[in-house]
Amino acid sequence: MGTGLIGSSLTGMSAAQLGLQTTEHNIANVNTPGFTRQRTIQASNTGLLSGAGFIGQGTHVSTIERLYSSFLSEQVNRSQSSASELASYAAQIAEIDNMLADPSTGLAPALQEFFEGVQQVAANPSLLPSRQVMLSSAQALSARYQAIGGRLEQIYADIDGQVVASVASINAYGEQIAALNQRIGVAEASSGQPANDLRDSRDRLLLDLNKLVKARVTVADDGGYNVFIGSGQQLVVGAEFNALTTVASASDRTRLVVGLQTALGVQEMPERLISGGSLGGLLAFRRESLDRVSHDLGRTAASLALTFNAQSALGQDLLGQSLLTPSPNSFAPTFFSLAPPSVLANTSNPVASPIVSAAFVEPPPYSGNFYTDLQSSDYRLDGSAAGVTLTRLADNKVWSAADLTALNALLAGDPQGFTLSASAPDLTGASYLIRPTRDAALNLTINPAVATDPRLIAAAGPIRTELGKSNTGLATISAGSVGPGYPAAAAVASVPITLRFQSGKLLDFPAGVLVSVNGGAPAAIPLSGLDYQSGDSITLVGSATTTPPSGFTFMLTGLPNNGDTFVISRNSGGTADSRNALALGQLQTQHTMSGKAASYQDTYAQLVSNTGSKARQIQVSSEAQQALLQQAEASRDSLSAVNLDEEAANLIRYQQAYQAAAKALQIGTSLFEAILQLGS
Amino acid sequence: MRISTSQIYDAGVRNIQRSQEQLVRLQNQIATGRRMLTPEDDPVAAGRALTLSQAKDINAQYAANQNEASDRLRLVDSQLAAVNDLLQSVRTRVVQVSNTTLADSDRQAIATELAARFDELLGIANSRNAQGDYLFAGYRSDAPPFALAAAVAPATAPSVGYLGDDGQLLLQVGAAETMPTNVSGNELFMKIPEGNATFTTSAGRSGSVALNLGSGLIDSGAVADPTLWRDALNAFPWQGTSNRGLEIRFTVVGGVTQYQIFDTSTPPGAGLPPLAVSDLQPFTPGIAIRLGTSVPPAAAALDFGAQVVISGTPADGDGFQIKPSVNKSIFQTVQEVIELLRSPIGSAVARTDFSGKLAGHLTNLDQALGNVNRVQSGVGARLQELDALSATASAVDIQYQQTLSQLQDLDYAQATSDFTRQQVALEAAQRSFVTISRLSLFQYL
Repeated sequence: MGTGLIGSSLTGMSAAQLGLQTTEHNIANVNTPGFTRQRTIQASNTGLLSGAGFIGQGTHVSTIERLYSSFLSEQVNRSQSSASELASYAAQIAEIDNMLADPSTGLAPALQEFFEGVQQVAANPSLLPSRQVMLSSAQALSARYQAIGGRLEQIYADIDGQVVASVASINAYGEQIAALNQRIGVAEASSGQPANDLRDSRDRLLLDLNKLVKARVTVADDGGYNVFIGSGQQLVVGAEFNALTTVASASDRTRLVVGLQTALGVQEMPERLISGGSLGGLLAFRRESLDRVSHDLGRTAASLALTFNAQSALGQDLLGQSLLTPSPNSFAPTFFSLAPPSVLANTSNPVASPIVSAAFVEPPPYSGNFYTDLQSSDYRLDGSAAGVTLTRLADNKVWSAADLTALNALLAGDPQGFTLSASAPDLTGASYLIRPTRDAALNLTINPAVATDPRLIAAAGPIRTELGKSNTGLATISAGSVGPGYPAAAAVASVPITLRFQSGKLLDFPAGVLVSVNGGAPAAIPLSGLDYQSGDSITLVGSATTTPPSGFTFMLTGLPNNGDTFVISRNSGGTADSRNALALGQLQTQHTMSGKAASYQDTYAQLVSNTGSKARQIQVSSEAQQALLQQAEASRDSLSAVNLDEEAANLIRYQQAYQAAAKALQIGTSLFEAILQLGS
Repeated sequence: MRISTSQIYDAGVRNIQRSQEQLVRLQNQIATGRRMLTPEDDPVAAGRALTLSQAKDINAQYAANQNEASDRLRLVDSQLAAVNDLLQSVRTRVVQVSNTTLADSDRQAIATELAARFDELLGIANSRNAQGDYLFAGYRSDAPPFALAAAVAPATAPSVGYLGDDGQLLLQVGAAETMPTNVSGNELFMKIPEGNATFTTSAGRSGSVALNLGSGLIDSGAVADPTLWRDALNAFPWQGTSNRGLEIRFTVVGGVTQYQIFDTSTPPGAGLPPLAVSDLQPFTPGIAIRLGTSVPPAAAALDFGAQVVISGTPADGDGFQIKPSVNKSIFQTVQEVIELLRSPIGSAVARTDFSGKLAGHLTNLDQALGNVNRVQSGVGARLQELDALSATASAVDIQYQQTLSQLQDLDYAQATSDFTRQQVALEAAQRSFVTISRLSLFQYL
């Protein structure tokens, strides 16, 4: 009976001691991240059968368990993965958002100052200082384009760096989870008890992994974690671990993507399958926003250069040079220099694939003002035995044709702002990435000839008109303008041209010249002359027709007398003429982009507005996701985290249990002593 | 619900941080005065603000161009006023000299004075602006637009040629409006139709240097129907293509004065005698002679829609010529006046010729003055338009400024009140956090 009493007390004392130790473990780890509070599970020992029934034999601790819910942890992992994705997206987009709209770094002020410079030249075309002002503001504009383009390139490079670092961290976590799977398996197999703190470590690693990329877990029969990322790609299976790696994309060798190390080599993982976590956020930002901003910015740069150059070519510089000046001359028909669109051949193309190159389409022939049809997208060109296919990557619109010539013909009807050519016709099996706009902002510079000599800015018009000195009628002639390709018209209709009015007809058109009246179809003029109609706009188009008609255009109004003449001649000495500078200045407000639908500034404002909207959307989602994460963490912590007051109560509880058991032991001992004294 | 210790701390810190973030944001808004710190605060407004500030800047550029255009036109206007004054003084002298009682020497003196006026006029025509550009040269503002060249016979003085062009120097003064800021010298000085602007009249027979012997004087004529004149001129089957014109020739037979209309045109280079194109008509001095043909070589009778009045008594064989106006420069008119004044008047016949010629020059001077006035009123209209544009531009500027302000600027009252509220919230969060963190069972152990 006495031994029974002492034995029971001892079990109570050791159980209380374990309880105290567990409580102290909890208190010690109150600030350990990922720690799950533990508790002892006590059970009574099986009673000893006697005549009086079963006599209790004390207690024992059956196990020390974690207060853990895999469901709640899974919720935290999910929320954490989304929250990290959005936070990383938000951080990246905030950077370009601020840069684009900032008054000191954005494009808008530089664009405005540039056109103010153009207006300076329009006001004072013969003054060299005003030409220098325009040149300086153009250089500032080009520098601003390059600075913004350069910053975007820097962000691309930063993302590459972060992708590499993320993949390294993912690999490290994967490796540690695999190692822990093994240690937990060994530890639990040998003891039959849960390895609580090792399991905490593994759950903590899984949460950290989810901060980088969304990882899905299945629990194996032996308690090991199998971790999958992306589309079920195995990262960890039991103690096995498959490393991820980074690789330059085959379709775009300038872009680093995530790959999988397999026995056959490195396999590119489709980017859309990697979601969640900061890596998912980075890739989504690059794919959705950074590409878009680069394209839009490049589109304004390319459109500005192409339209401005097209108008410049129709001018005459301060030296009196124009496209009509016989060679050799130093006339600079372009104001901006712009490299052609870049074309990247897929690195897995067949060895002998031809080189494909792209060229910007010259702004379409004159009708009001110049404009481009460039779109904010990259394109993919695929060759097969059946022909070639061009895909616009932004919306997957497809053009299919038998060869590049037929494709260019298709694009002429549905203009995208560029044409393609190849060094050899057979593109079978090859694929190319065409980037019309992405690099344009970086490549925009001032034509070096103009940059060194502001006199070469083409501010004047190349022709002028006048009435015959002895005209007696009241007819007047407009100042006259030229359209694209006018040198071709000049080859037939060589200036000066003197037209004569006689008996209701205009006579003396140069031989072989075609004439369009009010933009109608050009036609040859019979010897009897052209019917005179006051207010008619007359265009001499040379010998080849263009649509719309383009060449020398002028308008005759009023009634001439027989024998009156009208003269169209070179604008020699026209230093105060600023007609072309005015036309250049008007480009600022004209619809020069998106197939004549928007101005440069509209497009840029839209870019800022789009980026701002996206940033706002991401920011709002990020805040919402953060709130969800906090709720999930609260639910988890409510179950699993340590409460010090609770532990203080437990300390008292186990202390008192221990003290009571010790008292019972003391009583048992004194009973035993009483029996011993009986014998003495 | 069970609360863990870390939840108490985390929640406390999180709430304080959120309050601080709001405070910093408000402070930033108050310090910069901007409602939107980044476009993401209000993407639509950010886009609109960009477009609007461009529109505002462009409007400011137009306003600057309007001022520039205004300055230039005022300079042109002052030169036009000078030309006007000068021509008026020349005209006064010409009227004075029409008094035929003046001696040759008096006319010589006036001729010398007018020669000085001529030089002055040439100086104005070749005037330059502050940048050294010639005002009246069109596009070719680098070189003097008016230069003396070799005399054109029968004149002996060197002629003045125009070397500029008709180019208009345009400034963008509105979104869809360009304004010419110059007047071409051609328009101002050269392109002045002589006579009554439709035709000129002169005394003397075609192809002859002999003076009229009678005392007949022809006026500058009047055009009743310009269209009729133009149609007749273009439709008439002239016998030649050069020297198109009509001649009224007088015959006096037995004290009866009659006139007949002749076609004086000749083929280039060849001389043809004038061809009669009307019947002989009785002449009454001072009664209008209608210009028309009744004996056309080929077609039906033509009415030129114009008339002239011949006063005095023409002698037999006297002729008066009528020619379509061509342009005569102000310079040439003044030169011709000077030349006329320098030639002495010997006989009564010469005196009649002098009066006739002087009347012709006076008509041409009036044409020149009228032209200057026309150009002046054109420049005045442009200046008036610029004033209107300027007023619109400043009104539009204020409008843009207001809209931009609504889009971008901070409501300070609202922001300050928000700031105070947020401050109270932060202080409360801090106090309650300290209080709750002090509550621990361990204090009683």
